[in-house]
Parts: sequence; structure tokens; C-alpha cells
Amino acid sequence: MSAPNPASTGLSRTLIARQPYPHRHHNIYRATMSAPNPASTGLFINGTRETGQDVRTGNVTAALAVANIVKTSLGPVGLDKMLVDDIGDVLITNDGATILKSLEVEHPAARVLVDLANLQDSEVGDGTTSVVIIASELLRRGNDLVKNGIHPTTIISGYRSALKAAVSYIKKEMVVHVDNLGDEHLMNAARTSMSSKIIGKESDFFSKMAVDAVKSVKMTATAADVAGYEAMGSSTSATSNKHKYPLSAIHILKAHGKSSMESHLIDGGFAINAMRAAQGMPTMVESTPEAPVKIAMLDMNLQRHRMGMGVQVIVKDPAEIENIKKREMDITKERINKIIDAGAKVVLTTKGVDDLCMKYFVEAGIICARRCVREDLKRLAKATGGRVVTTMADMEGNEAFDADCLGACDSVREVRIGDGEMLYVYGCKGHGASTIVLRGANEYMLDEMDRALHDSLCVVKRMLESNTLVPGGGAAEAALSVHLDDYAHTIDSREQVVIQEYADALLVIPKTLAVNAAKDASELVAKLRSVHAKGQHGDDDPSLKYMGLDLIEGSIRDNLKAGVVEPAISKIKSLRFATEAAITILRIDDRITLNAAQ
Amino acid sequence: AALPCLSLLVSLLLWPAVFFRLFHSSALPQSHFRPSYALFARGCCRKPQQKALVRPTGHRKALSALPFSLKHIFGKQTPHPTHREHCPIPSPAIAHTPTTMTMLKGDTLQERSKGRDVRISNIVAAKALAACVRTSLGPRGMDKLMQLPSGEVLISNDGATILSKMNVLHPAAKMLVECSQSQDIEAGDGTTSVVVLAGALLDACSGLLSKGIHPTMIAGSFYRAAEACCLLLKEAAKPVDLADRDSLIHAVQTCLSSKVVSQNSDLLAPIAVDSVLKILGDDPGSATNVDLRDVRMVEQLGGTVDETELVDGLVFDKGSTKTAGGPSQIDNAKIALIQFCLSAPKTDMDNNVVVSDYAAMDRILRDERKYILNLCKKIKKTGANVVLIQKSILRDAYNELSLHFLAKMGILVVTDIERNDVEFVCRTLGCTPAPHVDSLTPEKLGTAEHVGDVVLPGSGHKVVKFTGVANPGCTSTVLLRGSNDLVLAEANRSVHDAQCVVRSLVKERYLIAGGGAAETEASLRLRELALETTGMDSHCFKAYADALEVIPYTLAENAGLKPIEIVTELRKSHAEGEVGAGIDVKKGRITDMYKQNVIQPLLVTTSAIKLATETVCMILKVDDLVPVYG
Repeated sequence: MSAPNPASTGLSRTLIARQPYPHRHHNIYRATMSAPNPASTGLFINGTRETGQDVRTGNVTAALAVANIVKTSLGPVGLDKMLVDDIGDVLITNDGATILKSLEVEHPAARVLVDLANLQDSEVGDGTTSVVIIASELLRRGNDLVKNGIHPTTIISGYRSALKAAVSYIKKEMVVHVDNLGDEHLMNAARTSMSSKIIGKESDFFSKMAVDAVKSVKMTATAADVAGYEAMGSSTSATSNKHKYPLSAIHILKAHGKSSMESHLIDGGFAINAMRAAQGMPTMVESTPEAPVKIAMLDMNLQRHRMGMGVQVIVKDPAEIENIKKREMDITKERINKIIDAGAKVVLTTKGVDDLCMKYFVEAGIICARRCVREDLKRLAKATGGRVVTTMADMEGNEAFDADCLGACDSVREVRIGDGEMLYVYGCKGHGASTIVLRGANEYMLDEMDRALHDSLCVVKRMLESNTLVPGGGAAEAALSVHLDDYAHTIDSREQVVIQEYADALLVIPKTLAVNAAKDASELVAKLRSVHAKGQHGDDDPSLKYMGLDLIEGSIRDNLKAGVVEPAISKIKSLRFATEAAITILRIDDRITLNAAQ
Repeated sequence: AALPCLSLLVSLLLWPAVFFRLFHSSALPQSHFRPSYALFARGCCRKPQQKALVRPTGHRKALSALPFSLKHIFGKQTPHPTHREHCPIPSPAIAHTPTTMTMLKGDTLQERSKGRDVRISNIVAAKALAACVRTSLGPRGMDKLMQLPSGEVLISNDGATILSKMNVLHPAAKMLVECSQSQDIEAGDGTTSVVVLAGALLDACSGLLSKGIHPTMIAGSFYRAAEACCLLLKEAAKPVDLADRDSLIHAVQTCLSSKVVSQNSDLLAPIAVDSVLKILGDDPGSATNVDLRDVRMVEQLGGTVDETELVDGLVFDKGSTKTAGGPSQIDNAKIALIQFCLSAPKTDMDNNVVVSDYAAMDRILRDERKYILNLCKKIKKTGANVVLIQKSILRDAYNELSLHFLAKMGILVVTDIERNDVEFVCRTLGCTPAPHVDSLTPEKLGTAEHVGDVVLPGSGHKVVKFTGVANPGCTSTVLLRGSNDLVLAEANRSVHDAQCVVRSLVKERYLIAGGGAAETEASLRLRELALETTGMDSHCFKAYADALEVIPYTLAENAGLKPIEIVTELRKSHAEGEVGAGIDVKKGRITDMYKQNVIQPLLVTTSAIKLATETVCMILKVDDLVPVYG
């Protein structure tokens, strides 16, 4: 077609427009229906886009919704949440991280807060609720500032400088250095952390248990830890005292029945949730002065040996079958005999033990337990100075059991707790290890006790590692708020307003504490602030800066004296994490949700 | 009687035409008219067509005014470069009857205006995309939160990352996405500015087009303008020596200032500079390019970005394998990288080992042990005390038995080395991978002064670290930390951008002032050049110069300043000869960027200008969109 008359194409198009051929244009119309609506975005993407203030408000609303869920569980008078999942499983908890983890949060901004709580849980262990509340308050105030015409970046830089000032104030003024950390301080910290939890009523009992447990697992830091601290330039004094307290060495066992006060700590001992494999085995093995009890920890199967894949057994003579079967048994029997010959009195394995093999153990008077948890055995190996054996091959290609792999202890006993039996290993000869056996009325309570105790253990560990503490009960927040307010007055740029808001945002902690305790929050917080202002402006009374809330009496008191304390490091970290999360969300001004490709 | 007669005459005149057209339309290749319908129907790009169909007269009116406006603009110049489409050419065939003429004229114009509509649609789409990333430009830029179909969430400030994930549909917008990607490859930084600049240039184009200038004329002038800009910028730029670490750090800090991790730029900038300088070798002066794949980034969740470090050696993101209780610290390490499997050989699917005798069972067991033991002994014999085992998908790369033997021999084992990492590892440690145990010889071993697990404070995760490696100058490793996945991923992208800045300086050793200073300078000089030239170039240069000012304008806007005031003030400073005057976003006023150490590599700016211009010219030259359905 050479140069079509322009007129012709023009006219034909007009006609076609009037009389569309449905069959020809069918696919086109379909395309119209399924095509995304670009008019709403102005941008031709397969998805939706929101920009500006809408996004920010949406994000802040979602974050506030998350924070509101955990708000009422803050503090010693906070209440618990009961979470029921889709199959009807119940979880009752007061722990912020646990609550948020169980919620299936979809909104990306809200997810940042959930991640924040998890991070606080893994890095500090305690203060998961307060970190979320602070972050959401910072967001709420940040969003209001944006609405009042302050640019988000100004807010961000204001928050950052406020954080810097706050951290340096905590380090300089609030921190109480405890050179010789007595049990009293440790117990106070543990008590503070568990005060809001289910075990808060028996805090004297459990705080002592937590402190004893952590102290029992004290060990010298390994080269790897030291290298880590040095490489990161970490300033914690853990580098100097070279001790660490691996919480993984503390084994928490839950057995329901009896009251929570019947829980106990097995100092220097280890309990394994397993029972003897056969009734004929002895219930206890005691050491003699010359020979401690030897424990073999295996990570291999003591069942009839089966040939691997790709090996086929084909026999011509039926009599051979018996021989093969016998040999299969004998391979295991030889292994067991080698273990027994090495001197083991207790054999624990992560895998199964054949019932036929049981008799060898019974005959030798050995306690054998099967299906132990691998992680437990690893801990036990550390505690007793042995090794978990994965294979018995020696360097000649034959099989032998190395006696060095055996752990040693004073005695092993099977103890009946509640419905079941447990093996207690007393007097471990290796590194420190201890076990806490929790008792309680029901599973939910035990789970919640476990979480509460874990938080307290973390707190005690942080205290021991850093040797520093700050007063709790809103004292630190109130002091920071007053200090930041003063600091804001020294700033002559737009950040001033932002720092003031940051100062006010911190007050959300004492406020929420007071509200949860059904006290007059406005009055209490006002009193608290005035006391701190007095302390920071001239009054030399050093106790003023440690003033915090007494939520039972509804008054102000010296929380340091009252023993409401927290490790300084956790306070600093939670401020840092909360600010970082708030900044991450405030920086967003655009949200693009893409549809799945068809 | 005259009236029916006339109408008859008209209809007679028309009929053949109608028939011809009907026949014509079916004979015409479909693509000739279908595309426009198809596009319209898709609802995304061809809205204007509809208007064109119903308002032919409106077009005519608008166009009849054009020659005047052109004359008005160009004075007495002959309007030779005017857009052909807007010059209704009186065709002899249609000049006779007024009726036909009216109708055909309308149709002609409408048909002819297709090219313009396509162009406008393209420009609108591309501009929308540029507007989308605009808010993330500069130190006060904001982030985008993206929710991908997989449910993954991404928070980013990096133009290339945002655009590549955005799944843009419009073909012209796609060109802009690719333009941003090429800037990422070429310069690594300035991926947002290139798109913003392209958007502004397209805006300028639509202005020029509406004045009736032909697209190819605009494209030609824009090319010349871009060239002129690059030359002007090079004159304004300051040469830099790679030994001048401070300048490099300042350039990197400028790049990092817009990122989420900007408050950590004091720490990250030296890390980025050193990690790149390290792999340049002893004579950085002679290098012309640098391969950033030689810098390995290891992400580790936990801690904060402050704890990021440049590792002198090599780091794997997981600890050594210690299930069998092997050593975790080795001094004076001799390192073997093996690609064979330390597990019992498997028979093929079709083959079987047949056992017919119980004694054979023992033999199989013993042979399996012996086979693996033999492998381990051969490794030990070469003197290796650290073994890196490549990941295998065919069969187990290691089993408990082999780990047990290696542990007993006091060999540290690191498993699951990715195949892609093998080359990097080899170059760092100076080892050669051994595909078979027999090819493992002492010469193939790499060395390191110390290999050991390191516990990261905070998270408690372990990584294995190699220090005092054999070839310290070949590669470098950055260990990134971050408090959550989103921050960590963004920190990784930011450090990569920062390294790209250093790479740009290796490629072209000039630094130029940032903060909109470079663009303002180029804009001002180009405007001067426009005054010296005549013709279309002069006109387009002026438009180009105006478009360049979008960068300082957006910077000011994003920082919450008054853009008009700032940009005019900036222009004045540059006119007074302050080459380095730029926007100090923090203070909210104009200062000398060289004094504030806000500097960036020349390559970033020039490459952005070149790429944006080329993309714009390409979009400009398109006058038809032909979807080809498969």
C-alpha cells in the first residue's frame, strides 16, 4: 500500500467507531475491564499508590493500633491478654513481644513495631512493651508536627539529636555504677522486671532463683566472644571482666501440678525431661569417691542396623535370612558393648533404642533414656564435660567408643514430678549449668512463668555484664523529659519544637503506668516532673533524680532506695530502638502496593 | 431545485469515496488503525485519541492560530523547522469541494495528530514516573514503602531500587526505569536525579512541541546541549587525586546524606572508601576501573548500623560447623577449598549393591568408614587445617562421619560455601578449588594468619572470620549490621551506592560541588551559550537550561524551603562567579559547597545528564505505538 490517502483511513476509522465489530474487538474490551485503573495514580503501574500525608497518617494509625493492644499490660499493675488462635489454642501473657508475635499483623508499618518488640526481646530480653509504646508515641507526635507544617526531615533530625542528648544524659547523670554488685541489687532488678508478670506476687522467691541460676552458669568468655567484643569496639565492661553468663545453660523445665512456690532450682544440676527406657533399670546411680558417674551422650540410633539406600539383600539360601537378621542385631549389640566397656553408667540418646537392646543395659545396671532433645544433650555435655557422640568410627576405620566423650557427675536419679518422671543429673563436673523446674496450676500459667522468668534472667545477666543500673518506675523517663525540655531551649532552630515533643513523648511511660494503676496520671506525672525539675535546677539533694512512681500508694518515692531498678543498657537500647523505628516509619511518604502478576 | 441538485451532486461525489474507503479499510493491514483503538481500549495511554475523534474542528481552530504564534516567537525567521503535522498541506484532491475539505481536513488533522498524541501520552507517563521518585531526592528526601506481591516489604530511597520493583506498565515509563538502571551501572549514584532530570526535560519538550518545533530538531539541540553541559561541568570541576582520602570521604558522605543511614555516614563513608581503595592495589593512580564484585557485603541482623565494620580478610555469614566438636580457632591456617563430597558414594538409580552374605554387611559398613577416612586423611596429608566445603545439591557435601574424622584431625570445617562465592574466596585466600581429592595438593592451599568463630555482640550469632589472608589487596569484605531487615537491606544498598561513588572517581577523577551547584552552574552557562547562538539551538538550549534547574528546585522543595527564592538566589550567586554555591539544606540557605564539603564525582552528574538526554530524545522520536500481540 503506497501512501494511503489520509482521508481514507480517517473515514474508515470513523465508521468503525460507529459500528464496532464485536468479535474483532472482543479482546480489547476485556483488556479494558482487567486493566488497572491508572487514572487514580497517574502512574502506569500494576498496583495502587498512596502518597503524602495519607500514607503517614495511615502508618501512624496502624502503629498506634498495635501499641494500644499492649498498652494496658505495662507496669506492675498491668493486666494480661488472652489470645485465642484459629484452632482454639489459648495463650495468656503480659509480655509485649509475645503478644505482638502472636498477632498476625499485615500492615507494613505495624510490622515494623512488631519487629521492634522482637528485636528488644532478643537483644535485651525485657522492656518489650515499653519500647513499642514509646515508638508509637513518637510517631503520633511526629505526625501531629507534620500536620502543623513541620517537615518530616526536621522531625527526624530533631528526634536524633534528642536521642543523643538523652543517651548521654543517662550515661552521665542517671547511671548508678555498682562496683561490687551485691545480690541485693541483682534481686531488685529481677524483682522489678517480674513485678508486672504473673510471678510478681512471689517476686522475692523467684528473683532469688533467677539470680542464683544466672550466677551458677558464670563462665570465662571464650576467645570468640572476646574477639567479637574487641572487633565491634564494644564499650561494655564485659571485655574487662571477661565473664559471660550464657542463659542457654539454664534449663527451664515445666511440670504442671502443685503451686508455683514449689518451683525449684537445681544448682549445679541438670534435669532432662526423659525417663528410663525400661523398668528393669536402676532408678539411681551414685558415684563412689574414686569413680564419678559416667554419662554417654549419643546422637545416633541404637536400633537394629539397617543397610543404606542402594543396598539390596538377596539370599539364595533361606537359612541365610536368619544369619542376616542376627547380624543386623549384632552390629548394634557390639556398639552397645563398646559403650558399656568404656565405663558409661548412664546412656542418653537423641534417637531410638531397640527393645531387644534394652536387656544389655538392664543386665549391666545402666540407666538408658531415649528420644532426648538434642539441644538438652548438648547442654548436658557442656555441663558434665563430655561430648555428644555422633559416630563411633575411630581413626583406623574400625568402631570404638572413646572414653573421653563421657561426661561425669555425682549422681543421676529418676525423680517423679507431677505425672511423669525426669532424670536429674546432680553435681556436674564440667562448666556450670543449672535447671529450674517450674511448677504451676496449668500449662498457660507455666508458659507465662517461663516467659517472665526468662525476662528476669536476661535482666540479671545484663546487670552482671554491665554493672550499671538506673532507677525504674518512670524515674528515668521523667528525668530525661525534664532534661530534654531544658536542652530544647538551647536550640535555636526548628528542631526545638521537635525535641520538646520528644521530651513529652517520654512521659507516656509514667502516664501509662499511672493509668494502668488507676491513679491520677496527670497529677502524678506533674508531681514527678516538678520533683525532677527541682533536682536538675540547683537542688543538691541527689535522691531527687531517682524519684519515680509508687504505683501502689499513688505517690512519689526514691525508686533507687525502694529497689525498683533496671539495667542501664536496656534503657539506652530501648530508647535507641524505639527512635530508630519511629524514624523509619516517619521517613515514608509513599506507599506502593503491587498486584501479583497475572 | 438547486438544493436537491447540489445534495445529489455532493452525495454522488461522496459515494465512491465512501466505498473506496470501506474496501480500503478491510484491505488495509490491521495494524494501521488497530493499535490506536487497542491502546485506547486498554485505557492507559490513549485517552487523547478519543477527544481527537470527536473534536476535529477544535483542532483546526487551534492550529490555525499556530503560524501566527510561531511568527510571533521567531520574529521574521522563516518557519522552516515547524512541525509538519501542524501545517495543513492543501492536497489537490481535497481542495475542490468545501464539504469534502471540511471533513477530510478534520480527519487529516486527526490522523496526522496521532504522532503527537502518542508523544504526549509518552511524555505524560514518563513525567508521572519522574514525579513519583521526585520526593526522594536529596538529603531531605523521603522514603518509599513498597509492598511486593510476595508480601515482602521494602523501604528505600534509592531511585533505581524503587523503579525496578515498581512493575511499570507503560512502555515510555519503562524506558525511564531502564535509564535509571543504566545510571546505577554506570555511576551507581544519582539514580533518582537522572529520572527527575529526564522528567524535567520531557516537560520542556512538551512546551517546545506545543510551539510547533519538530521533535528531531529538539532532539538534536538537546544532544548538543548535553554535550555542552558536560564540557562546561568539566571546566567547573576540580581534579582529585585518589590518594586524597579526605576528599573521597566527603564525596561519599554527600552520597550517603540522602539515605536512611545518613546519621551513620561518619562511619560508613570511610568504610566504603577504604573497601574500594583496598582492592585498587598498590598503585591506585593507574587504575581506570574497579570491579565492585570484589567487595563482599555480609549482612548480619542484630546490633545497629554503628557496628558495621570493614573486615581485614574474609567473613562467612555463619559459624564453623561444630556438630562433631571440632576446633573453632586456628592460627596459621592452611585452607583447602574442596568441591568434592565427603560422604559415602551413592549408587546410581539402576544399580544396587547386592548382599547375599551376612559378612558382606560388615564389609559395607567398614568400607564406608574407610572410604571417608581415606578422603579425610588425604586432606590432612596436604597440611590443611581449615576445610571449606562447597555446597552440593547432588548428594550430601558432608556427613556426620566425615565431620567426626575432620574434628579428630583438628581441622576446622566451614560448610555450605556457595558456588558463586568460590572465585571470590579463592582470590582472597590464594587457594585453588579442588574438584577431586587427588587434585588436592599442598600448592592449592590458601593461607590466613588466623581463622576463627566470632560471636557478634547483641544477637549472639556466630560468623567465621579469616584474618591475615594471603592476598589482602585483591578483595575486601564489609560486615553490615542493622537492627531490622529493612534497615539492613537499605544499609547494604547505601554502602553499595557509596562504593559506586568511589568507583566513579576512579573512572573519572573530577569532583564537582553538590547541593544543586553543578546543575545551576551548567544551567547558567548554557543560558549564556543560548544567547550567543541563533536559531533552534538557541531556543532549545534555553529550555534545556531551565530544565536543569529542576534539581536545585526539587532539593529546596524537599527540604521544605521556598524553591523560587532559593533557586533565584542560587542563580544570582553563580552569575557573580561563585562556582561552588549550592543549597545548604540543613541551614536552609546558599553556601559554598566546596567549603561545606558537599561534593560529588563529576561522572555522576555528567552521566545523569547524558543518560537523561538520550532517553528523552528517544521518547521524543517515537510517534507511534504498535502493540504486537503474540
